[in-house]
Formats: sequence, structure tokens, C-alpha cells
Amino acid sequence: MTDIVIAGYARSPFHLANKGDLARVRPDDLAAQTIRGLIEKTGVDAGKVEDVILGCAFPEGEQGLNVARMVVLLADLPISVGGMTVNRFCGSSMSAIHIAMGQIAIGAGDAYICAGLESMSRVPMSGFNPSPNPALAKKTAGAYMGMGETAENVATKFGITRDEQEEFAVKSQQKAAAAQESGKFDGEIIAIEGKQGTVSKDGTIRGGTTKEALSGLKPAFDKDGTVTAGTSSPLTDGASATLVCSREFAEANGLDILATIKSVAISGCEPETMGLGPINASKKAMERAGITAADLDVVELNEAFASQAIACIRELGLKEETINIDGGAIALGHPLGATGARITGKAAQLLKREGGRYALATQCIGGGQGIATVLERA
Amino acid sequence: MMAEQINKVCVIGAGTMGAGIAAQIANAGVPVLLLDIVKDGEANRNAIAEGAVAKMLKADPAPFMTKSAAKLVETGNIDDHLDRIAECDWVVEAIVERLDIKQKLYARIAGVKKAGTAVSSNTSTIPLENLVDGMDEQFRRDFLITHFFNPPRYMRLVEVVRGKATDAATADKVSDFLDRKMGKTVVAAKDTPGFIANRIGTYWLALAVNAAMDQGITVEEADAIGGRPMGVPKTGIFGLLDLIGIDLMPLLSQSLSSTLPQGDPYFDTVRDMPLIEKMIADGFTGRKGKGGFYTLKKATGGGREKYAIDLESGEYRAARPASVPKHAQKDLTALVSLDGKIGRYAWELLGHVLSYSAMLVGEAADNVVAIDDAMKLGYNWKHGPFELIDRLGPGYLAKRLREEGRDVPKILDVAGDRPFYRIEDGKRQYLTAEGEYRDIVRPEGVLLLEDIKLASKPLAKNGSAAIWDIGDGVLALEFTAKMNALDEQVMKMIGKAIGMVRDGRKALVIYNEGSNFSVGANLGLAMFAVNIAAWSEIDKLIRAGQDAYKALKYAPFPVVSAPAGLALGGGCEILMHSDAVQAHAETYTGLVECGVGLVPGWGGNGEYLSRLMNSPKMPRGPMPALSKAFETISTAQVAKSAAQAKEMAFLRPDDVITMNRDRLLADAKAKALSLVDGYTPPEKPVYRLPGDTGRAAVDLAVSDFHKKGVATDYDTVVAKRLAHVLTGGDTDMQDEVSEDQLLKLEREAFMECVRDPRTQARVEHMLETGKPLRN
Repeated sequence: MTDIVIAGYARSPFHLANKGDLARVRPDDLAAQTIRGLIEKTGVDAGKVEDVILGCAFPEGEQGLNVARMVVLLADLPISVGGMTVNRFCGSSMSAIHIAMGQIAIGAGDAYICAGLESMSRVPMSGFNPSPNPALAKKTAGAYMGMGETAENVATKFGITRDEQEEFAVKSQQKAAAAQESGKFDGEIIAIEGKQGTVSKDGTIRGGTTKEALSGLKPAFDKDGTVTAGTSSPLTDGASATLVCSREFAEANGLDILATIKSVAISGCEPETMGLGPINASKKAMERAGITAADLDVVELNEAFASQAIACIRELGLKEETINIDGGAIALGHPLGATGARITGKAAQLLKREGGRYALATQCIGGGQGIATVLERA
Repeated sequence: MMAEQINKVCVIGAGTMGAGIAAQIANAGVPVLLLDIVKDGEANRNAIAEGAVAKMLKADPAPFMTKSAAKLVETGNIDDHLDRIAECDWVVEAIVERLDIKQKLYARIAGVKKAGTAVSSNTSTIPLENLVDGMDEQFRRDFLITHFFNPPRYMRLVEVVRGKATDAATADKVSDFLDRKMGKTVVAAKDTPGFIANRIGTYWLALAVNAAMDQGITVEEADAIGGRPMGVPKTGIFGLLDLIGIDLMPLLSQSLSSTLPQGDPYFDTVRDMPLIEKMIADGFTGRKGKGGFYTLKKATGGGREKYAIDLESGEYRAARPASVPKHAQKDLTALVSLDGKIGRYAWELLGHVLSYSAMLVGEAADNVVAIDDAMKLGYNWKHGPFELIDRLGPGYLAKRLREEGRDVPKILDVAGDRPFYRIEDGKRQYLTAEGEYRDIVRPEGVLLLEDIKLASKPLAKNGSAAIWDIGDGVLALEFTAKMNALDEQVMKMIGKAIGMVRDGRKALVIYNEGSNFSVGANLGLAMFAVNIAAWSEIDKLIRAGQDAYKALKYAPFPVVSAPAGLALGGGCEILMHSDAVQAHAETYTGLVECGVGLVPGWGGNGEYLSRLMNSPKMPRGPMPALSKAFETISTAQVAKSAAQAKEMAFLRPDDVITMNRDRLLADAKAKALSLVDGYTPPEKPVYRLPGDTGRAAVDLAVSDFHKKGVATDYDTVVAKRLAHVLTGGDTDMQDEVSEDQLLKLEREAFMECVRDPRTQARVEHMLETGKPLRN
């Protein structure tokens, strides 16, 4: 099989939904500018891109109408470039990468832009018209369960204390703040032009967070629970994009290869504890890559909630120093559809920056799934 | 209208008063420039004004009627932005009470303002002639005093003082703006110290404190005697001082002492107050400080206990309930004739305050009406001093003053045994200083049911409502029960009113002059029916309400509701069944039934849903309007102004707001008449609702709220019943739900609730304590 590589990664700044600097920016504009930025940064000839595959968890309203094609037009890509919107909730844009990989493998083109977007300000989580199937709601309580409740379930099941979660959250904030201060995000962030000016920095990170401050918060989802707003990823606006292509294409076009995609996997799990999704998905992907957790030098594990991240780290036996080196979603935010491409692109970038051989990007998905990608240093 | 000559206002001084005045101007929809000084060492030169706006956005009670009103306030500072006064038609000065500083500012204002731009000061103490001393002719022509009361949004009084040189047209323009746009009652005051309300109010408070100390009256007794029986809010004297701040007393005393003419009776009240000085020095300045004459302390068994200061020892002790004998509670003559300390204290207060007020006719105000209005609207007295004198008898007051060898004010002699107010030919008249009766003439555009009632008899009435002819073919339906609660009698009267208008009249206005439009259905009556298990009676009442409201909605003539104050539950539903609402700005409306374990039962669900569905702000699809309706009704949200009621869609975008309470009826009548030509009743709405799919979505949200601890156990039960109505019951997205089907669902849900002992417990608790039971 031909080697398929990640040859570029970029993202918009991430900002808190409704109160942040991107709340008044349309998500399609956000994605179009991010993709435009990726093309300029990598120097890829846009005419050679087969398709834009765009992940989005709530593809309606301003994110509706096959927003991927609209973004292609907005970004002034050549008319020949296609556009497809995919939805696997939080796993959407990682799925976009997996789809591109498959397409390239069957010879359906050489280069894909795999991106994600979510304005949680402008399209509410669960959409404008939540219409659950009443029979399923009765039969499978977890199917439509709020994510916070699943995080509580995981905490209970694994006996993860509030203190542990807060410790984890503080570390995530500290890592993200340190990365921001030392300019480590500058290379990946595409400045966004909005009606109210240019936005070029993340607005989500709270480097000054302390355990004392977190311990004063009220439980966010269950009055007797342990999960708070401080140990959950915030509602976020953002977009991300990666360039996925064959090694031959990258080399022939002089692109900077970040990593090779080694293996991918999907695995379903109980919806009530959807946060555990990464466990089986990662095991499957590592098995397909022929490695074990001990072989991983870089891990990007999406922090939907501290409780589920801790549970996954424990169950997978991940090494602490490899995990979310520049901070995770608790600090950076989690614009649902955009997170998959962010953590996969980030894992590739870190592998190149930090050295080592293998990286894992993995995340949990509402409704009970996990998704994982194993990368190898190019 | 003259008010429209003022299109932009500048307020200088962003303290409590200035900022509050700016907010009320913004509430009127007029842009304001709010300026203050540049704070030393502050990088942000507009920090003070900006801070004031930010603070107001968090304050409760809220100075702004909606958050968006705050956007009309532009902030700045007097060093960089004073020249922008050239854009403004009126400048309000509300800075520190120092003559030299004010005069310096005026000189700067004079340099930048357009000729004809009005300038007014919110001074409460400095005479106008001193303020304009040394200013040029043009400035003097444009200058007046507009004295607001705190908080400016809620207190209706503004005392307007015109100087010798003030241009009448300029002062009229400002007065008209205060009246129509800001909703204030303008009382003309003369250029004398403290004007009217504070002069009498300060005297009254000082006198009452002194007398309590001299006569061995406790603070509780003073407030029990000087409060309700005299028509004064129950805070009375010491409670009011706690509210306004005890530290204000010496300041007021100082300022009045330095400006009042020699021999003024106020000087008799001035004395050393060691207790009050000590309280202020120790930070016991009232509610804003560590405590006041009253304070709340944590009780041993949880909760809080009320303490009061012993005026002799200056120490706190547990508060002791005090009361006035029943027969003297409503009869002033009986009160001041009581033997013992209650009667003595009451007479000390009333005798002095009323004679002081009488002395001020001609000096502080032209007539008794101005003085009464000032005390009613500036101090929330139920009756003005002259209305109190009428209750006591002018002859009785004069006689008793004379017997005690005290001066009898001239106007009391003029009055003799005649009252200060009388009704003549259906008109209310007052006694002038010259001893003649003159009609109280309402300003143009003011129509009061109170006046109509003097001149006519109701066309029909029963125990809970009455129908009045308000002229030009328009009838008014008035609620008359306690708190204007709604019952079967009201429904009957609605039917009667519809018949009467149909018989050759043009339109109906639903209006009353109670403090609240209506608090909703009479729960006491409903509980009585519950206790005897008269379920069919309750069902009948619900049907009667639905039928009456729908009859209003589909009547062949315009129906306009004109609420002010609370319009809750059934009171809100009647608004939503009107063709138009002409709401007083201070209207507080909402569907609050869930709070007592019920669901709206008189058509409120369908009406609110259709308002939301027709709102251009709602995203499309079956869920957004329904979710919003569910959220608002299930949490019993109440709009905190008429403007907010529009934002929440209780009112429609083309419903109209009247700022001045006294103009509400005339505006509503005009609105009704404007709808008469070519009137056609509305078409029946058809709903497309998602049935069990929508219910599944709502149930998920409810169970999240329950987990979070926001919704109680029984909240979730009531919420599910409400959801059943709002989702259209057993319908499908492909089906249409008629208004009648929705009404049936509503009735069934209501009956299910009312039969539930947990609802009954909520209603009983509300009736007994006035507070919701969270079961």
C-alpha cells in the first residue's frame, strides 16, 4: 500500500462560545480562512486537491447545506475541488482524515484537505431542533444522554475523585499556558479576520487556574457529582485543517511531511460511558500498527472531560510525559467537529518537533464510540 | 410634541443619581452621553462612567429596563468629550453638591453648548439663583432645576424649579420630556431650600427621631405608629432611615440649616445626636453598612432574627413587635386622640408635620396639590399632607394647634372647616391659598379612571369587575377584586362587556388603576373548591376562562389591554388574548402557574407558542419556539419591564409602551380607536407540533435539570404535564393541531395538576406564606 502522510496542519484560534472573540464569526468563514491559511502555509497547489472533507457535529444553520462545498467556494479554491461534510460528532474531522486515506488508497486522487469546524456560539449543541426517537430514548437511556452525565458515570465507575480531576485540569491549563507563552502555537494558528478585527490568539486558556479556585466550583451536571465546568472542556468556536496526501505527491510537490499515517480504528462502546471510547479504538489501532502503548512517544488524547481522560490513560497504560504536551481540550477548548483534525495534525506536528517514532491521536464520541489514529515519524 | 425636540441628552456626573437618570433616558429610547471626571492615575479616561454603567447592569432593582437599553448610553469624560454637548438638546448636571464646582462646570458648558440647549441641575439643596450667579443671560434663560428621586427609574417624582430668567419654552420642553418620555410626574416647586419633598421629609424624619427619644418610644413603636396608620410605607421612620442611609441625616441637616430662613420650624429639630453620631462613626449606617436601627442576626436554630436598637442604651436587642389598636389603624382622629404614648407620639408627628406642610403653601409650592403630589410620589406616602388633614379635619387640626398655643398656618384659617379637596359636579377640586375651590385640571393626554368614576356610574359591576364608559364609544373593563385576582365574576363581566360593545360601541379597553393589573386567578377560591373536591366546578371555571378569553380574542371589535404593575398568570393570558397591548413601562408579566404546580389554563400555552413561532428571531423547525415556551413557562419567568416582555415575546413587536402611568388609559383608548376602521378579528391559528418526539427532547432536558439540582422532584412532574400540552399531545409533525385541541390538552393538564396533592400543597403554601414551596 502507498504511504499516506500528513503534510500540513493549521487551525484557527479557539475561543469560548458566546463570550469569546469568534462568537460573531460565521463557522463557514472560520473554516474557509483556516483552509486558505493551510494552503498558503504548505504551498500546495490547490488545483491538485481532489476534495475537501469537512467534519461537523451539528451540520445545520450556518453549518448546514453541505457546508464543505460552501467553504470551498468561500475559500476561492479552484472550482474543480469537491466538498463533503461528514458527521461523527466529536470524531468528525478525524473521520475525514480516515476517509481521505481510504480514497487515496483506492487511487481516487492524491491530495485531500481534511478539516473540521464548529461554532458552538451559532449552532447550539444538539442543534436547533433536537428530535430524539422516543422509543430509543426509552430503550437505551444513554443514546441521547447529556455528555456531562456520561462523564459522571465514568468518574463513578472508575472511582476517579474530584481532586484527581482538578489536578489533571490544572496541569492541562499550565501546559497550554506555557506553550502559548513560548510561542508554540504560533506556527499552527491562522489569524482570523472578523467584523470586529483580527483574532490571532487562543482565548480559552486559563493559565492562572489553581486547585483552590477549581475546588470552589459547583458540580455542573449532577448536584451530588464530581464534574465541574473547570474539569470539562468548554463550549468553543474553532476550525482546523490538515493536508493528507500520498508520500509520492508530497515529495513531488516539495511538501513538508509531518508524519505517516500508520493505522486507524473505530470502536463502539456503551453510550452511558462514552468517554471510554478511546480505550478499545486505540487498542485496535495499535494492534493494527503492531505496537503497544510503550512504543508511543506522543499522545493526543482529547480531554472532553478530565474524568474520561484519566480513565483512558489508566486503562491504556499511557506514559504521562507523552500526553497532550501542549495542553488539551480542557484548556484549549473543544469545538466538536474541529477537534479530530486538530489532535491528529497536532500529534503529527509534535512527532516532528519532539522526536520519537510513534504517536497516537484518539478521542471519545457521544453516543458511545472511540476513534484512533496511529502516526509514525516520517 | 415638545418632547421630541429633545433627541439626545448629556448627563454629567455618573454617581447613583446621574447614572440612574441616564439609564431612564435610555429606557425611553433616547441616546445619552454620560460623562464624569477623569480619575487620577487611571489609564482608561472614561473609567468612572463606564464603571457606573457596568454596575447598573448588575444592580437589582435594575436601573435599565432591558440590557439592550444600556447600549444607548455612551460613556466619556468631561476633559475629552465636553464639546460633544453641542450634539445634545438637554444637559443634566448631577455632580457633587458644591456650588463652586458646579459653577466652574457651568462656565465650561456655556462655552460649548448650542444656544437653546437646556441645562438643568439635579441639586437637592442649592438654590437656583445661587447656581446661575455670574452666568450670562443666555445661560440663565436655558437653565432650570430638575430634582429627581432615588432610584430615578422607579420614583415618579421630579421637582422642577424655574428661575426668574428661565425661558418658559425651554422649561416646558424639558418638563414635557420628563413627563412623556421619562414617565415622571413633574411638580412645580419654588426656588426654596430642599424644594418640597425633602424639606417636609427631612423635617418629618428629624422630628420623629427626636420625639421617639424624648417620649421613650421604641423604634418598632415609632414605625408602627408613623408607618401604615398614616399611609406611610411600613418602613416607617427608622426603617426608612436604614434604607436611605443614616449618614445622610447630618448632611441633610447641615445643608438645610445653612439655607433655610431664620425662624423656620426646622431649626427646632436640630440638636446633638450622640447615638446617631456614634452609629455613623462605627459604620452602622443602615442597610448599606454593618446594620442600622434594625439589623438581622443569625439565629441559633438557623435562619435570621431581627434586632432593633434600644434608643436609650444604644445596644441591639431582639426586635419586639409593636402595633396600634385596631380602631385607630384607619382613623387618624382616633389615633391622635388615644390616651398614652401612642396617641401622644402620633399627635407630635402629625401635628407638626401637617402644620409645617400647611405653612409651605405659597412658600415652597403654589398649591396644596403640588405638596401632596410631592410627598406621595417622592416619599411613597399613600396620602399627601393635605389629604391627611382632610381625614383629620382642618378644623380639628387648627383647634388643637390653637389650644396648645402653637401658630396656626394661614391656609388652615382660610380653610376653616372646609376640606382641602372636594368633588363638585363630578370633578375633583382643591382649595387655593385664597380660599376658593378650583378644578384639578389634568394635563392634555391624561385620562384617569379615578376621574371618570367621580363623574359617572359604572354601566355594570359585580364583586370582581366593573364596566365604565370612557367616551368616544370605548368601554373600559376594570378588575376590582383584592389584588385584582380573576374569578368567575370577572369572566361574566367580560361576556357582558363584549355584549355592550357589540351593541353599538366601538372598542374595549381592559384597564384598572390598582398597583397591579392582576395577580392572576383567585387561588383561594380554587383551593376552596379543591377542599370540597368540586372537580367539575374547577373544570367549569377553567372552561369559562378559556371561553371568555377566546370571546375577547374573536370579538368583532378591537380589544386593547393596558397593564401596569404585575400581570401574572391569568393576568398575562388576558394580555395575550387582546388585539393589542398598551403597556405601562413598569409592567411585570409572565406565566407563573408552574410555580404553584399548575400549568397555564386560560389559553396561555397556545398564545405564547404562536407568538414565539411568529417571531422572526426564532430558528425554523418544530423545536425552537416550543423549547423557548417550555423553558419560560416551566421556570415561571417574569419579564421585569414591558420592554423585556417584548423581548420574551409575551408582548408582540407592535404592542406599545407608555412611559407615564397617568397617560396609559388615554393611550390605550387612542390605540383601540385606531384599530376600529376596517377591523377584522384574527384568524384561528393552526399549530404544527412534534408530539412525542418533542416530548422526548424536553424530557431529556428536564432530567438534566433535575440532576443538576435546579428542578425539584415535583417540578419534573409538572414540567412533563406542561410538555404534553406544548408538544400537542399525541400528534405527529404531519398533523395540524387546532386551537381548540390545544385548549383541551391544557385543560386536561390543568385538572391533572389541580387534583395532585403536591400541587395543593404548593398552592396552600403560597396562600399562607406568599412564597413558593419547592417540593
